Amino acid sequence: MSQPATPPIIEDPFTLYFWEGTKAGQLLIMRCQSCGYWVHLPKPVCRNCQSMDLKPEPVSGKGTVYSFTETHKAFHPYFVDKVPYLIAVIELAEQPHLHFQSNLVGITEPDVRFGMPVQLEFAAFGDKTIPVFRPVATTADRTVA
Amino acid sequence: MAITTKNRRVAIVGVGYSKVGRNTGLTERHHAAQAANAALADAGLTAKDVDGVGSWGGDAVDFGYMMGFQELRWELNVGVSPAFIAPAYHAAQAVAAGHADCVMAFRIMMQQPSSAKLAAGGAMLGAPNMEDTVFQYPYGNFSPTQWAGLLMNRYLHESDSTEEHFAKFAVSQREWALLNDDALQRTPLTEQQFLDTPYITKPLRILDCDYPCDSGSAVIFTTEERARDLRQPAVFVDSSALCSIHDMNFEVLPDMVRTAPVKCSNELWARTDLKPTDVSTAHLYDGFSVITMQWLEALGLVPPGQAGPFIAEGNTRLGGSLPVNTDGGAINVGRRHGANFCIEAVRQLRGECGERQVQGADVSVWANAVGPFAGAMLLTK
Repeated sequence: MSQPATPPIIEDPFTLYFWEGTKAGQLLIMRCQSCGYWVHLPKPVCRNCQSMDLKPEPVSGKGTVYSFTETHKAFHPYFVDKVPYLIAVIELAEQPHLHFQSNLVGITEPDVRFGMPVQLEFAAFGDKTIPVFRPVATTADRTVA
Repeated sequence: MAITTKNRRVAIVGVGYSKVGRNTGLTERHHAAQAANAALADAGLTAKDVDGVGSWGGDAVDFGYMMGFQELRWELNVGVSPAFIAPAYHAAQAVAAGHADCVMAFRIMMQQPSSAKLAAGGAMLGAPNMEDTVFQYPYGNFSPTQWAGLLMNRYLHESDSTEEHFAKFAVSQREWALLNDDALQRTPLTEQQFLDTPYITKPLRILDCDYPCDSGSAVIFTTEERARDLRQPAVFVDSSALCSIHDMNFEVLPDMVRTAPVKCSNELWARTDLKPTDVSTAHLYDGFSVITMQWLEALGLVPPGQAGPFIAEGNTRLGGSLPVNTDGGAINVGRRHGANFCIEAVRQLRGECGERQVQGADVSVWANAVGPFAGAMLLTK
């Protein structure tokens, strides 16, 4: 049986940068070129200084888990064989409260901790690539292992 | 001449529901007409007395003409907003300012598709043309239950609440519903039954969610002077507030525990001489149960982080120190998007709640929404 189609992703010129970034192995976030404030989700104006000079810039891919939830019900055919899966809000290292919504991979729900350090990687999504996050192996983890 | 800016005292004089139920097969117009007629009859008003309409759901102008209201002096359609508080707040303001004398506020909503239908591809939640969905759909985020799971989990992390407290909350709400003929869910519930229900978006269970249905709700606002001559004891709008702090992407809120209800509550109390300790009954939005918990804390009714233990001690039940959601909440009366909390607050203040009546109720607060935006209204006898 063929894989159900991915949910529709609107292609518009204002979010094209994001997909070009993931194709090149980068997570690009809009950044104000006037004051340096990172703006996500993308907007045409910086809410810190009102400049309209924003450009996508790569982030380090380092972050921590701000919140997470394990989805048990599929709300779209594409995800029927993927439940349960982890949706997480990652606080990116570049700026306090710079939150990026993604998936957590390489870990099961009971092991996730608030504030846990995570690192960016990429996963396939139809013909696109999406940023996901994997817990960083810590010294403590290795001791347990 | 300048626009009218009177400062008239505003009363709620009529409340009504449509025949609320699961997949009723009726249209928004049917539910609006049923609710409007119920509210008019409750107030002892006729359609020709109404000169203003506000609504979320359907269309205010369409409803006004359909009902045979007089030529409207004021109308408002609200879109995505903190639910029923949006048309209710603005309706009260219109009366206070003298832009209209008798305004009906509506919330009409039709049942959304089931998760089984969504999983089969027969429907989709949200609007796929919204550019922000680019940052949601690829991660499997489609449903409000998913941001609610994120908010609830963070709330559990930062507060003293536990999933067992959420179970006790569901049980206490159901106890109220058993005393309410308007409730759709009226079978007794135990904590264990709650804990045995599967997660939707862990830690959120289906019994943490309001109950999908078709509903129409209508509330009539008019002047104090007019209210004195009508059928019901007048209930007065003492204070009200709206607040928004963020766009509609709940998932990237900077703080998922202290959201719009915090600033909204500060505004509400700044506009009145009343204090949180004066509140007899609280009617706090439970689209997801964590929202009620956050309102209890935001309004200063319980200390920060203590809503779960407060509920677990029985304070929100009949006979408790602060009865909460005395109609059973939307988890039991069905999704009326905040209108049920306004209507139940009015009924408590009138003293017409029968077995679930809170004796001596004279100040009631009702509150709507969470996260990006919120609204609240303080009512008195």
